Amino acid sequence: MSPGVEGARLLLVEDDADLRASLVSSLEAHGYSVREAGTARDGLVAWAAGRPDLLLLDLGLPDEDGLGVIIRVRREATTPILILSARHQERDRVEALDLGADDYLTKPFGVTEMLARVRALLRRAAGPSADPAGRVAVGNLVLDIARHVVTIGGARVELTPREFEVLKVLVTHAGRLVTHGRLLRAVWGSAYSEESHYAHVYVSQIRRKLSAADATGSARGLIVAEPGVGYRIAEP
Amino acid sequence: MRVMTLGHRQWRRLIRGTAGLAISLALATVLVSFLEQVAGITNASSAYLLAVVALAVRFGTAEAVLGAVGAFLLANYLFTQPVHTLTVLDPKEWLNLLLLLVVGVVVGQLAGRQRDRAETAELREREARGLFQVSRALATAADTGQAMRDVVRTLQVETGMSRVWIGLQGPSPLERVVADTGLGSEPARPGSETTRPGADPASPGSEPVGPARHELLKRVDGDEPARWVGLHAAPRSIRGVPGTDLAAYRVLIEAGERPLGSVWALRRRSLGAPAREETRLIAAAADQVGQALERDRLRRDATSVEVARQSEALKSALLDSVSHDLRTPIATIRAAAGSLIERQGDDDRAPIAEAIDRQAVHLDQLVTNLLDMTRIEAGELMPELHPVLLDDAVADAIDRMRSSLAGRDVQTDVPLDLPPVMADDVYLDAVLSNLLDNARKYSPDDAPIRVGACRPTTDGPVRLVVEDGGPGVPEEHLVRIFEKFYRGVPATGGSRRGSGIGLAIVRGLTEAMGGAVTAERSSLGGLAVTLDLAATTPATPP
Repeated sequence: MSPGVEGARLLLVEDDADLRASLVSSLEAHGYSVREAGTARDGLVAWAAGRPDLLLLDLGLPDEDGLGVIIRVRREATTPILILSARHQERDRVEALDLGADDYLTKPFGVTEMLARVRALLRRAAGPSADPAGRVAVGNLVLDIARHVVTIGGARVELTPREFEVLKVLVTHAGRLVTHGRLLRAVWGSAYSEESHYAHVYVSQIRRKLSAADATGSARGLIVAEPGVGYRIAEP
Repeated sequence: MRVMTLGHRQWRRLIRGTAGLAISLALATVLVSFLEQVAGITNASSAYLLAVVALAVRFGTAEAVLGAVGAFLLANYLFTQPVHTLTVLDPKEWLNLLLLLVVGVVVGQLAGRQRDRAETAELREREARGLFQVSRALATAADTGQAMRDVVRTLQVETGMSRVWIGLQGPSPLERVVADTGLGSEPARPGSETTRPGADPASPGSEPVGPARHELLKRVDGDEPARWVGLHAAPRSIRGVPGTDLAAYRVLIEAGERPLGSVWALRRRSLGAPAREETRLIAAAADQVGQALERDRLRRDATSVEVARQSEALKSALLDSVSHDLRTPIATIRAAAGSLIERQGDDDRAPIAEAIDRQAVHLDQLVTNLLDMTRIEAGELMPELHPVLLDDAVADAIDRMRSSLAGRDVQTDVPLDLPPVMADDVYLDAVLSNLLDNARKYSPDDAPIRVGACRPTTDGPVRLVVEDGGPGVPEEHLVRIFEKFYRGVPATGGSRRGSGIGLAIVRGLTEAMGGAVTAERSSLGGLAVTLDLAATTPATPP
């Protein structure tokens, strides 16, 4: 049974009660049912009891680092995890993503943005990443993984095998943030995980080819860069 | 001068020796006369041997041998027939006199050698004792200053110096006296201030170099660890020093080859040059003081490095904490405003909630900028430089500012064939955001904003220019716009007030990445800010 986007059950682990109350209010206004926890321990108990469809997790919790929560949740489930981090926690943020978190929001963030991220993560978790023919679609971009064919708005895009690999990793993780390290490990192997400019170079080439082939102009914003962290495919 | 000084010293010794010789021989003569004429002992000349032994013990071998010769002549002249002549008729008397001479010389030499040995033993003992005390003082004292005061006192006692002091080199050319025995029981002579010539009135705490004329102890190769060599005559010779009866000696304190200061000593000329043992003791003390000072310095350096490291960590932790504490309420305000917007729908209160959210975003930007500025000024920046493609960085920055740049004509001209630049992509993004935001704020809504890049020279840096069509900045203010809190005149109303630190951050971050930033008037009419960033040719990805 895959939960639908509407009415999904969320768990919010955040120690600031005022912030928690406002976020819960917004999320509930959009039809989600939300459980709350103020500590890592309560969060893990609530997670084990309810197995929510998505976890919103603050990294700076009073009793334990949020990273520990990610590790324990990831041991048992692929539940999407959205990190809520303070701005000075850049390194923790990348580590959280590498440990298996799916995306992050930097406090203070806008509620609209949070709702968009929650929606994108739930949609990714709900549906299969490829149709029975082995095709993955994001907006007007379609990747035929079996045949190594990419089209945008029906127009074919010629990518090199490496470029195709990079785009495949990003598209199959649509809605999630892929760190430079993860992208490099997936495409080039772990020996290249520090060479972030490889990712820049390839993403740049892919963007140019997509923009050139796309008549609608929507390709430009498709791959979003998070400086110092990684890339995400923005779902329209 | 030196020859005269030494002659003077020898002269004094000669006078004293001669006087001793005369007195002891006179006394011996009286004794012999008494024995021969009053006590009736014949041939009592051997009593002269007493004088020889006395001379040996009091003065040394040379005086004793001279005494033996004198005794021989006196006995011959006064007590041998015929008296008052040096002629000896009786061969037996001859033998007697000869025996007196030979025995006198032998006894005198033996006694003199004994005396020398005792003297050497005494010197050695004092050297050993002094060395022990110096080592103990330096090893056990809590601070080197106290140890050095103990050292100079020990040296004064064990080397027979009138006064010993240690001067250390400081920032001024004069040495600073850190330990001084003073002249002690020595009479304070008018000449004593000459040991501190040219006292600098501007720095009362610092004592001058030592006496202008002094023997400098130099390190020499070979068995002997050190010896007094040469006479150091300072150009600023001080009148009066040659006239005092104090001679000055100096041993340099060195760590490795680096001079740290000197041990100075004053000694009465009448005592002659310091003995080898005394020299060795002073040299050894100077070496040990040098080591102690070096140890102190290393410890101080280690401490200051540790203090700096801890204060860096503290600064960083403090900034993180301030960042957290300032942003948490803003996060809550935004969430609350967002919640109102989501719940109210098209209620007429929604615009109010949106205004709250907008101002919270503005406040967050202000906090971000202030904290960035603080990090820049605290030297907390740690850029991670790697190749960055400018066209992507520019496009991404414009994308991210889409909402605030809405409706603005943003023209970009970043050639795709430009080489990547060495940059930290987070810093570069902050720089671009600040420049775009600045251009937006200080130009009217219908004025264009232009972002261009080029490489003026084939092997030089890549140049990025952000310019606007606003009123610009007066020529005379161009040099000031990167200063903190400089604010230009906003193009429209008060809602676009800047904090005046955006461009200061641009400069701080750019310079942290090894780049340069300049400002000039734009051909569009407004301000043009130019960044020069190092180009790079990264390895091609496999």
